[in-house]
Amino acid sequence: MLQSAACGFGYLAFADLLTRAYAAEQASQGESHHYESPLKPRAPHFAAKAKRVIFLFMQGAPSHVDTFDYKPELVSSDGKNVGGRTILAPQWKFKQYGKSGLWISDLFPSVAQHADDLCLVNSMFIDNPAHPQATIQLHTGSARFVRPSMGSWVVYGLGTENQNLPGFITINPPAAVGGAQNYGASFLPAAFEGTPISGNAREGLPNIAPAVAASLQRRQIDLVQSMNREMLRRSGGENPQIEGIIESFELGFRMQSTVPDVMDLSKESKQTLEMYGIGDDETETFGRQCLMARRFAEAGVRFIEIAYTGWDQHTALHARHAANAKAVDKPIAGLLADLKRRRMLDDTLVIWGGEFGRTPTAQNRDGRDHNNRGYTMWMAGGGVKGGLRFGATDEIGARAEQDKVHVHDLHATILHLLGLDHERLTYRYAGRDFRLTEVYGNVVKGILA
Amino acid sequence: MVFWFDCLIRTHNRLRLRGASRAYVPVRMPNSPGASLYKQFHPTDVYLVNMRNVKRVIAGLVGIGVLLGVGVRSLAQAPSAADLDFFEKKIRPVLAQQCYKCHSAEAKKLKGKLLLDNRDGALKGGETGPAVVPGTPGQSLLIKAIQWTDKDLQMPPKEQLPPEVVADFVTWVRAGAPWTGAPQNGATVATTQASATPNYAANYDHLRKELWSWQPIANPDPPAVKKEAWVRDDIDRFVLAKLEENNLDPSPRADKLSLLRRVSFDLIGLPPTPEEIDAYLRDDSPKAFEKVVDRLLDSPRFGERWGRHWLDVARYAESSGMSRNFIYYYAWRYRDYVIDAFNSDKPYNQFVREQIAGDLLPANTPAEKDRLAVATGFLTVGPRDFNERNPRQFLMNTVDEQIDTVGRAFLATTIACARCHDHKFDPIPTAEYYSLAGIFASTDEFTGIERRRMANRQNPYSDDHFIKLSGYKAGAESKKDLDDDEVRAQARRALGKMAVAARLGQTYTQPSTPPRPLAMGVQDDSRPTDIRILVRGELDKPGDNVKRGFLSIPSMKDAPGISTGESGRLELAVWLTRADNPLTARVMVNRIWEHLFGKGLVGSVDNFGTTGDKPTHPQLLDHLATQFMKDGWSVKRMIRAIVLSNTYQQAATFDRAKYNVDPDNHLLWRMNQRRLEAEAIRDAMLAASGRLDTRSPIGSPALDLPPIEVRVARINPGEILSNMNYRSVYLPIFRNAVPEVLEAFDFADPNQVSGQRDVTTVAPQALFMLNNAFVTKQATALAARVANSPIRADAGRIDLAYKLTLGRPASGAERERAMAYVGAYFRDPAAATAKPRGRRDDTPRLEAFASFCQALMASAEFRYLN
Repeated sequence: MLQSAACGFGYLAFADLLTRAYAAEQASQGESHHYESPLKPRAPHFAAKAKRVIFLFMQGAPSHVDTFDYKPELVSSDGKNVGGRTILAPQWKFKQYGKSGLWISDLFPSVAQHADDLCLVNSMFIDNPAHPQATIQLHTGSARFVRPSMGSWVVYGLGTENQNLPGFITINPPAAVGGAQNYGASFLPAAFEGTPISGNAREGLPNIAPAVAASLQRRQIDLVQSMNREMLRRSGGENPQIEGIIESFELGFRMQSTVPDVMDLSKESKQTLEMYGIGDDETETFGRQCLMARRFAEAGVRFIEIAYTGWDQHTALHARHAANAKAVDKPIAGLLADLKRRRMLDDTLVIWGGEFGRTPTAQNRDGRDHNNRGYTMWMAGGGVKGGLRFGATDEIGARAEQDKVHVHDLHATILHLLGLDHERLTYRYAGRDFRLTEVYGNVVKGILA
Repeated sequence: MVFWFDCLIRTHNRLRLRGASRAYVPVRMPNSPGASLYKQFHPTDVYLVNMRNVKRVIAGLVGIGVLLGVGVRSLAQAPSAADLDFFEKKIRPVLAQQCYKCHSAEAKKLKGKLLLDNRDGALKGGETGPAVVPGTPGQSLLIKAIQWTDKDLQMPPKEQLPPEVVADFVTWVRAGAPWTGAPQNGATVATTQASATPNYAANYDHLRKELWSWQPIANPDPPAVKKEAWVRDDIDRFVLAKLEENNLDPSPRADKLSLLRRVSFDLIGLPPTPEEIDAYLRDDSPKAFEKVVDRLLDSPRFGERWGRHWLDVARYAESSGMSRNFIYYYAWRYRDYVIDAFNSDKPYNQFVREQIAGDLLPANTPAEKDRLAVATGFLTVGPRDFNERNPRQFLMNTVDEQIDTVGRAFLATTIACARCHDHKFDPIPTAEYYSLAGIFASTDEFTGIERRRMANRQNPYSDDHFIKLSGYKAGAESKKDLDDDEVRAQARRALGKMAVAARLGQTYTQPSTPPRPLAMGVQDDSRPTDIRILVRGELDKPGDNVKRGFLSIPSMKDAPGISTGESGRLELAVWLTRADNPLTARVMVNRIWEHLFGKGLVGSVDNFGTTGDKPTHPQLLDHLATQFMKDGWSVKRMIRAIVLSNTYQQAATFDRAKYNVDPDNHLLWRMNQRRLEAEAIRDAMLAASGRLDTRSPIGSPALDLPPIEVRVARINPGEILSNMNYRSVYLPIFRNAVPEVLEAFDFADPNQVSGQRDVTTVAPQALFMLNNAFVTKQATALAARVANSPIRADAGRIDLAYKLTLGRPASGAERERAMAYVGAYFRDPAAATAKPRGRRDDTPRLEAFASFCQALMASAEFRYLN
């Protein structure tokens, strides 16, 4: 039986549960159907550079021309009139960092220390300049239809490494701009849905806190399992459904200790906490979330997203962008450094960005409007070239011009780095094969390491 | 242009899928969750196409505007679909991979001035002369080159093509070098969509004649069988004949208790009560089971069960979902209409007509008129992106959603695939999509929401955007803007009240805001009109005008015309339910079968097209469809006939020998073991605890929420409201905020037509059964219920708990185990210190018994039907 069944992580535990007699009986009867968790790890289409993803979603749309898209032309044209609007120079100074000399603004001084690991994609564009549509398209590839989230696609394609944890976790997902649609599995089986964790990231997963003391619960589970095994015996043979239920109780029981353990930051050293800005009010929240993400990544979670909301500065750009950047800069730098020292950055793809960017022209004097025609996202680790500035917007950062990267291309590239061919990762639904990239998408070869 | 070519590439991808060494093809297995979620395809195709090249070249073609169509027309005769198929499968991929690098518009440096990315280029040839001479491989330099016979002309230069590929090229040139054409630029494209590359439409005449589901419904004679004694209904003959063909026996009849539990859940979604169990066990008459079936069919709980099945298909929800997620305040009227329709056994053809065109049907009373108006809510309760700023785009998205729903719900046909191009697999040209689109575009939708006002962040709700029912009087409408603090405060108050009530254990009875005579639904637009094809579905590429109409199903002669003054919905409703429509009756009897066996005779219940499954018992399917129509499209009679058959009443017992012949039980040698749906699991827990409130609530708690987006409320309404003790079908279903208790067990995604639920088995379900407060609460209530029963003996109490949860008494060993468990739990020192949520006031003994009751509800047996 051990040979004939594809062994998932929990499989051995399951085998322990069965009487040896039953196992022997099965083994003598040749090939069998057995329960196989839909989340068990699956090999990629081809060798993968990245094993997991941490997506730092900057909801609201950070201004690219004030952060990672250096436009000297903007400084000199400050105040100039362009099509009835007034150019607003970058409100923060840019400096060059690292051996690569990437230009990064003063909003991200800590992230800038990792310049040589960053791959700035300056030529992003997306279909729609409205927050909800763009957010949904960024997450699912389609704003027009309800489709599975990229995290769901990834777990569908690769399964996940740790069966005691969800494969796709989303920390602090916005309730607005599409809400659960952004991490939903749509027509993929529900097992591939993202598991939301609330913003303060101290609460566990739903139903993870045991209702009773461990000894009592173990008793109860043993009773349930003996009933289940009886049912399995009574039903006389192949019964992957019941086997699945038996396994689910063991996994669930283990999750009760694994999840709080992974989410428990108290075991981290003071120095690590400090690295993430934990202990400082301004960086505490996002710092905890970043550290949590690292712990999830380390424990084998396939796709982790953290959302930071509030980048939508039509007004008060100065104050709010500064505050937002302050809240995330050190935690992100801490995450990159921590991944690096643990040798995890090589196979962890870190992605940073919003649903679009902001205009080079002013709005309400101290603000910028939405800009979906050109903006910046960056990636680090997981098989991308560090210290690279890829693609370009026009002189003032209004439109992507050179080596344009549509969000479909971004998706194709993310899947590629994970060893998945976006054209082959399909799911047959309603009579046809669906993919994350719909009928679009090209892998951005230029950023591959 | 890009989109169309991408579709072409997708077709190629399918080819490549076969060539790929490990492409995962998911197979939906409703009853074996992970077992065969992925099946691996093995390489069977020798061509590994480098798609990137194909794509690049095609993009290049677009760039220089080469018209491939010209080449096709220069043939003496138009190439056949098979020829073109050969070209697409065997020739073009090789050209793309091997030749385009140097011989295409995309080539960095064009070699020998030879273009092989279009037919004209190939015919004209390069510096050395024509590469392809149609019909004459011997004179074609291309052939000479790939044969590597001439030392100075060897292509591809580095490696010779395999001999079978060379042979394919020879065959192709001999056949006249057929080359699929491309559409031209501009408005004429629409009319020539059918001739676009690849030419899907070329195969339509053939498909219309061959696609099984498009052929007339036959009335086959029930076959002769050997084991005549087993036959109770003609259904059994069809099943038995197939079994006998395969040397299989049906399984023996299920035991009485399994059967009772099975039929109770199947018909009303609730377990049998202990009294019903006892009565049935006592009844030895031959009609005992029939009596049970008739009792269940007459129960008002029947409509709640079967209505919910339909609500899955109708992608029912009480909010718009998508980017803004507005509440549909009066969606519940449609829900109630559906439940009533199943309870009153409304003929299915009538049910279909009312949902499509109720507003256009005659009504004798105001109440009847209201009911018919509410029925059209079917077309409006789907997901809508009210944030879409372009009104025309919003309209076309709505129309598309309606076509998709109507197509899959009633016809199990994926019509919406033809929005942007002719359907690739089924005979549905884009023109017919737009014929149907004209019908829906001539229809106005009333959801209560005015998109324009919403865009301005004003309160988008107004009475004028609802359907007004009889007795309507203008009321005080809230004019508060959406982001108004008072509206937010109001929402917080309303939700807070519900949360407090839930915490106090108060059960929700009805909204404090009484419903007004308003509904969701549709009406004909004042100016119905045909619409133009949108090339590739794009608004800015209008093509030809097409007359409103229907799909061209050959057996349906005399499709009704649509007069200029009407939308055509009434004609559509009639067309859908005509006796010669080969799909509607088949699709519905298959849905019924699926709900009773866990698997349809056609596995893909929402897709009867070429990419769907074929029926396992085509004759039985036709027999049922014929009977269905003969019986006045009565759903109840159809269900009755099926559950009274011996096929349905078989045991679900495993049998190794039969399993080896038919592991997936396609032939129905036993009943399938099935997991209960989310609603049935929740309702069964409430039924066991005695807390189930079987009344039908008035309206929905949605009515108590102010005009606000579901998300702005910041609290998950579903979570709070899951404290309602009503049957699950009455829980408010807001998109993206489905109650956890339903979500945990594969509730149907309300964004899609879902004729069949997934069955996944994952650890969070175990955690839900172990730790969720709803479950512990029901377990405690069940324990108290048993403790308070007149039964005093422990053995009797344990029996009662078993009957209430598993529908059977406990065995001797089970009783002993139960008593041992309760005793040990009671004595465990931990029991004295830690108590679960919701059980703090219990005595330790009751606490231990509650833990046992919870184990019963958590067990696999509770969740499964045998």
